[in-house]
Amino acid sequence: MLEVKNLTKVFKDTVAVDNISFRIEPGKIFGLLGPNGAGKTTTIRTVLNIIKPTSGTIIFNNTPISNNFLNSTGYLPEERGLYRKGKVIETIIYFAQLKGIDRAIAHQEAIRWLKKMEIDNYRNNKIEELSKGNQQKVQFITALIHNPMLLILDEPFSGFDPINQQLIKELLLSFVLSGKIIMLSTHQMDFAEKLCTEILLINNGKAVCNGNLTQIKKSYGTNFVKIEFEGDSSYVKLHHSILHADIYSNYAEIQLKENEYPYEFLRDIAGKIKVTHFSIVEPTLNKIFIDSIKRSSNI
Amino acid sequence: MKKALIVARWEYWEKVKTKTFLISLIITPIIIIVFAIMPTLLTSQLDNTTKAVGVIDTSGIYFKALKSNLENFKLSDGQPNFILINMNNKEENITSIIRHADAYSLSGKIEGYLFISNGGTDSIRVEYRSKNSSDFRDINRFEEAFNNARIKIILEHNKVDPSIMKYIANNVQIKLFKINQSGSEEKSGFLFMFFTSFIFILLLMMMILSSGGMLIRSLVEEKSNRLIEILVSSCTPNELLAGKVLGLSSIGLTQVLIWLLIGAVLLGTSIVPADTFRNIIPVMFYFSLGFIFYSSIFVGVGSIVTTEQEAQQITSYLSMVIILPIVIAVPAIENPNSVLVHVFSYIPFTIPAIMILRYNIGPVPLWETLVSMLLMIASIYLSVSIAAKIFRIGILSYGKRPSLKELITWITEK
Repeated sequence: MLEVKNLTKVFKDTVAVDNISFRIEPGKIFGLLGPNGAGKTTTIRTVLNIIKPTSGTIIFNNTPISNNFLNSTGYLPEERGLYRKGKVIETIIYFAQLKGIDRAIAHQEAIRWLKKMEIDNYRNNKIEELSKGNQQKVQFITALIHNPMLLILDEPFSGFDPINQQLIKELLLSFVLSGKIIMLSTHQMDFAEKLCTEILLINNGKAVCNGNLTQIKKSYGTNFVKIEFEGDSSYVKLHHSILHADIYSNYAEIQLKENEYPYEFLRDIAGKIKVTHFSIVEPTLNKIFIDSIKRSSNI
Repeated sequence: MKKALIVARWEYWEKVKTKTFLISLIITPIIIIVFAIMPTLLTSQLDNTTKAVGVIDTSGIYFKALKSNLENFKLSDGQPNFILINMNNKEENITSIIRHADAYSLSGKIEGYLFISNGGTDSIRVEYRSKNSSDFRDINRFEEAFNNARIKIILEHNKVDPSIMKYIANNVQIKLFKINQSGSEEKSGFLFMFFTSFIFILLLMMMILSSGGMLIRSLVEEKSNRLIEILVSSCTPNELLAGKVLGLSSIGLTQVLIWLLIGAVLLGTSIVPADTFRNIIPVMFYFSLGFIFYSSIFVGVGSIVTTEQEAQQITSYLSMVIILPIVIAVPAIENPNSVLVHVFSYIPFTIPAIMILRYNIGPVPLWETLVSMLLMIASIYLSVSIAAKIFRIGILSYGKRPSLKELITWITEK
């Protein structure tokens, strides 16, 4: 289990991370979310023990983190890049060795992973000769070849086509089954929503929203409807029961006021426009993200 | 420390496999060989054509003797080195003779001309006037020839025995010998010393500059694609730094060993004089220490830059410091016992070059060797620990280069 308590990091005159706490259980994916510059990278760096926190503690399996944990962590940074001139297999072996894996074992593991990622035929190519997607796969392998207990992935899906995204997703789920502690930082809310059980939303270094995703959604209110329609949406926009609406040309996500009933809303609008789809939904993570960030920025 | 070795191994192989390494492996010895041959070229193959030299002798008594003296100098093919042309002309006055001689020199018909003016019995003034500033060896020969002619004339005038005249004309030349620790004597010369010492210093500087530049470029690459974050989440910054310095130094040593091997094969030939490697052990010691010292400086400096341009700028500043010993080398060889040379023997930046130089010039007291080596080791310790502190923070900061004040806080904070 990874436990972060009252983490604060101050750089010269800016507070990058301001008193945040969270815990990640093994076998769960934890989503670290937030807009650009919110303090995600700083949080990740302190957890990785790359930088020292100004105050607060980071406890990994009941022991405060130290350099002894370097071999137990795997990290995929947001900005990718490997030694361009390095050979694929040599590069993977190098990073595996740096994580304390014996050279011979690293070689075997590298080949196993290259096969698993379907890029085994490039093993003797230089990194720069690979396509962007394949380079990302190599980098992915370097982050997890040593079978780390704690895996920190920053935007793992970016740069992959849908087929490879699927591959990565399945890989992540297999890590969940094997009981790894996984920290996922992403701006792709749909992935976070499907994968994470716990989330921490931060803005300007402060925790804005923290906890179990299902519960967060519940506490956020249930009066959300999604409609698809044909016709003039101006009537919908002005309906008295609407608290907030995201309206596109033939699609809308609407939050109703607390004491309004969705079926009454449907009845009212059905006479004015042709409704092709109507559903009562939970708020999307995207919605929660945007609302929470806006609210916290206004305070 | 195991991880430092892994880093070193990687840095070593990745660089050794590159074309740049291979090229510098080949080009550097070529430059050195050119340098080694140069003194032989300069001293042996001077002139290959006969030079026409004019003489305006207002006294009218020196020309004959001067001519016979100068015609003793022969080219390698047996032709005379100089042909003297008497430019005196009774029809003309002295100004117009000079005007003609100047015109001949400028048009290249003659190399130049000697202008001998007789102000009285004892006051003789000789000028050599030419278009180009002339070879100092020619001037020496003119001087010797003229003085011999002058002495010969006065002796003849006083009817001195020709055998005494011959004795006087037979100049004794001073040959340079250097006394060595073991008491044996060796032939030495400025040029020889200059080039043998210079080869090692030049080698050191070139290697520091090329591999230092290589190091900074790779650091910038690692920083810009965030590889550095993966690295420091796998090993400590100190291990990373140690690995890089170690890897780089091994590359340097590999290069030198290969060159030494080439040198050993050519040893004794005209390219590599037999005693070039005489002081090889202390030279290699200073060489390695200097290399490690400068590598650590490059690592420290390289960690604070973010872009290729900044890297180039900062490398050029560093180059200026590194070039300093080459600038000092010439006065140091000319005057090895000067205070300046001794002062530079205790400044870490110049110790390696100056000590290599001093070893080639003459014996260095043991205590000085020990003191300078200890000083060098202490400087390496200091520069590595400062570099480590800058490195630790520098590699994770992007954007604006830190100010000197910030750097000092980085170094002083725990």
